[in-house]
Amino acid sequence: MRILAVLAALSALAAPATTWYITVAGLGGDPLFDQRFNALAQEMDKLVRTTPDAKVTTLTGPASLKVRIRESLADAAKNGKPEDTLVVTFIGHGNFDGQDYKFNIPGADITAAELAEWMDRVPAQKQAVINTTSCSGASIDMLRRDNRVIISATKSATERLATQFARFWVEAMRNPEADTDKNEVVSVLEAFRFADKKTVGFYETQKRLATEHAMLEDTGKGSGVRAPGPDNGHGLLAGQTPLVRFGSLQQAAKSPEKQALLKKREEVEAKIEKLKYEKAAISVEDYRKQLGSLLLELAKVQEEIDR
Amino acid sequence: MRWLAVLALFAPLASAATLEECREHKRRGRLPEARTCWSALSQSHDAALQAEALWALRDYNSANERFRSAVAQKPKDALVRVRWGRMFFERGQRKEAAQLYEEAIGIQADFPPALIGLAYLASSGFESKAVELAEKALEKDPKLFEAREMLARFALEEYDEKRAIEQADKALAISQEALDALVIRATVEWLNDKPGTEWIARLDKTNPNYGEGYAMAANMFIINRRYEEGIALYRKALNKNPDLLAAKAELGVNLMRLGAESEARQLLKECYDANWRTAPVTNTLTLMDSYKNFVTFEKGMLILRVHKKEAELLRPYFEAELERASNVFEKKYQLKLTKPVQLEVYPDHEDFAVRTMGLPGLGALGVTFGNVVAMDSPSGRKPGTFHWASTLWHELSHVYALAVTKHRVPRWFTEGLAVHEETAVNTEWGDRLDPATIRAIKDKKLLPVASLDRGFVRPSYPAQVTVSYFQAGKICDYINSKWGWQKLVDMLRDFGTGKTTPEVIEAHLGLKPEQFDKDFLAWLDTQVGEQVKGFDAWRKNIAVANALVKEKKWDEVIKTAEPIVRSYPDYVESGSAYELLAEASEKKGDKAKAIAILEQWAKVGGRQPETLKKLAALLEEAGHKRQAAETLERINYIYPVQDDEYHRRQGELWLEVGEKDRAIREFTAVVGSKPVDVAGSYYNLAKALRAAGRNDQARDNVILALEAAPSFRPAQKLLLELSK
Repeated sequence: MRILAVLAALSALAAPATTWYITVAGLGGDPLFDQRFNALAQEMDKLVRTTPDAKVTTLTGPASLKVRIRESLADAAKNGKPEDTLVVTFIGHGNFDGQDYKFNIPGADITAAELAEWMDRVPAQKQAVINTTSCSGASIDMLRRDNRVIISATKSATERLATQFARFWVEAMRNPEADTDKNEVVSVLEAFRFADKKTVGFYETQKRLATEHAMLEDTGKGSGVRAPGPDNGHGLLAGQTPLVRFGSLQQAAKSPEKQALLKKREEVEAKIEKLKYEKAAISVEDYRKQLGSLLLELAKVQEEIDR
Repeated sequence: MRWLAVLALFAPLASAATLEECREHKRRGRLPEARTCWSALSQSHDAALQAEALWALRDYNSANERFRSAVAQKPKDALVRVRWGRMFFERGQRKEAAQLYEEAIGIQADFPPALIGLAYLASSGFESKAVELAEKALEKDPKLFEAREMLARFALEEYDEKRAIEQADKALAISQEALDALVIRATVEWLNDKPGTEWIARLDKTNPNYGEGYAMAANMFIINRRYEEGIALYRKALNKNPDLLAAKAELGVNLMRLGAESEARQLLKECYDANWRTAPVTNTLTLMDSYKNFVTFEKGMLILRVHKKEAELLRPYFEAELERASNVFEKKYQLKLTKPVQLEVYPDHEDFAVRTMGLPGLGALGVTFGNVVAMDSPSGRKPGTFHWASTLWHELSHVYALAVTKHRVPRWFTEGLAVHEETAVNTEWGDRLDPATIRAIKDKKLLPVASLDRGFVRPSYPAQVTVSYFQAGKICDYINSKWGWQKLVDMLRDFGTGKTTPEVIEAHLGLKPEQFDKDFLAWLDTQVGEQVKGFDAWRKNIAVANALVKEKKWDEVIKTAEPIVRSYPDYVESGSAYELLAEASEKKGDKAKAIAILEQWAKVGGRQPETLKKLAALLEEAGHKRQAAETLERINYIYPVQDDEYHRRQGELWLEVGEKDRAIREFTAVVGSKPVDVAGSYYNLAKALRAAGRNDQARDNVILALEAAPSFRPAQKLLLELSK
């Protein structure tokens, strides 16, 4: 996934654009769930606000109304630009009535069809829906579209029990370990892999039958996959879609005097990537030698950038 | 089989052969004649007779069909149902067999053949009611020698040779040709390394091809953990009668247990192909197919087989403990093993269950087959419910006890030693006094030492196996504390000469077993008496304390929980008073007290990983980094899986206090647990290696970190430093 990492880094570098975060905590049905969903949404709120140029709408409790969600998306539709990113996150319970998926919120529920319609009006070229509710797998078919990543906590409408995925998703946004390529950006793909692994681990540790299987769809065609990768063609867009940014990368991108060094860094990174693709064709010894010297060269360039 | 004779008498003579003739051929070991007879009988117009013949010819589906017809034709015939049930039982279909026996009893109350069938069923599950059922059958029909043979067999399964001989002789008094009784008499002699010539001569006179008898003897050797001799007897059984698929399957399963996988697979496949697709056959074949997912590591005389998915993570911990335990036991048992020890670790408890099926009274955490040990992986159990290292030491001690005695150690003594070893290696390990054992002590249910084996084989109440483990362990603790370790080794050696428990107790401790029991119970009272007395109050007060926690009345929780801990300190399971007290102390801002309570809990044997992590966090916050690392290190022996975070934190703490090798071990575990953060894991390992001066390895690992994340700045800096 190194190529994705490079793309994600480049995307992050060229990101004066706005990221629209719309996070909604739905109805819990009982105080414990209400409290849990609201707390997760509020924590997400704090985490995404550290991203530069973020426009954040977080709806919890009685404010999580259909009309408020529509207004937030209408705002993104009106004021957004194609280079923007839109991230919509649902935390709570969902259900499937045989026709359409519904996210359970105060007042009338919102359907996947309605959400798709409102999101289609947003000009942002990169869009992500993170639907962490029960039955969320049923929303994929309705939401899928080119340039949109859909993540669901469940693989289908038949997984109806309350999910664990949301809390691990939030953990991915705050845990630097989720940033596996260490480019100071947690992409949607990285967060998915992190949260999915934690969710699977949760059920294994508790010796409970897993009642949720998270899916990712970012090709605009399929119904999602459990393990996105080159073999199934999923994950490319998700890898290029930043979820949260932290660190100084953003500042470096804005510094004109560093541009040459950044360019050189990209060249070395590309060489490393090429070498990795050729790994199977060269001897282990040669590979190690070449990789070591390229990584050393890259480290030196980075040292210059940081100076 | 008098009932069959009755059935045969009333059967219409539709074919030349009769059931009695066929059975007589079989009974006399005239196998070809029996086959011809069964073939002829299978043409009978009587569905029940046809069913019997088809069953004998191993055409189970047709036999099943004919039994169904026979039952429809003779709905009030209890015997047909029993025979049908026996066929199901032979095929391992217990539920169907039980139903048919119950139906037979519904037709004819206390019908002896049905009681015998139920006794076989209970016996195969090592249930104590097997004996009651056989005795009940005997009450109804005092001449039923088959019931006597069963009682003899049950006695032998409980290692009670005297009673086995008595019952076998009673069976022989009813019928001089009671074949199983003859086999029991021979088996008792074989178990005592005597030839059994007289009994075999009598057996051969009646039936020179009685393979079933050798298979029964083989099973007795297996129950006694004398696997190789058991295998030899199964071979003999097949030599006598190659058609005995049940014996062939057992031979295959036991060869698998001892690691002879190629032959085991061949035999089990032959059974499968011959339509002998019982659960042991199919499950064992499935298990053997899964071996491709395991990797094997050899180090000297130690072999470790671990599932691929967790091999990298678990190998260092398991190898280290296996090696440490071997070294300790070699000295303690004064024995150098001549054959390698193989340890198999199963992440799927079902696989482990297949590996161990059909053996009585297993704690189901680990099992030893001679030099092969199979056990659950920590990932196969819920966190905090299983101390794998304790189990490893337990099982490995069996390897030594079996080797010292050439597999002639009584069950209670080898289990007692094994339980003793768990806490001998570390007082925090092993199991604590649990509520079920307290109840058994209160109700005076501990068994006399001379019959303690019965508690393992045929428990008379649900918790008796666990209680027997506890009792056997405490007996060994007692002997060790009063007479010293060498006394236990001397006793072990004497068991190897074939002496009985009373003989060994008397010879080495100078006491009659009855006196030993009295002395032991008095000593046990000094060890656990207070907890036994305080148990009822504990049970009442723990509920009160939990209610107070829910109400967040922290002062009252402290006031209530403190005496609870004192009344039953061994209770360290989830929801213990220690945890309530620690939580209340923390809520009241007294972190030092919370630490003290949780440390006490951990020292007594508390093993909930989450609580240990909490203790570590409190220690770290209080600046006690070494103790925090040591606390996290405890989790390595309990649940080192599914959590790379605690390995990473432990590694960092070890590095901070200068314990570089331990830090390297933990960061290696993080890498082995296939973390999401590959780059960070290799980087941490590289840092620790560098701190230990292993710069070449540090460089290799930092390159692996950067291969995963070339822009990872801390790793870049380390690479630059290492390249200077």
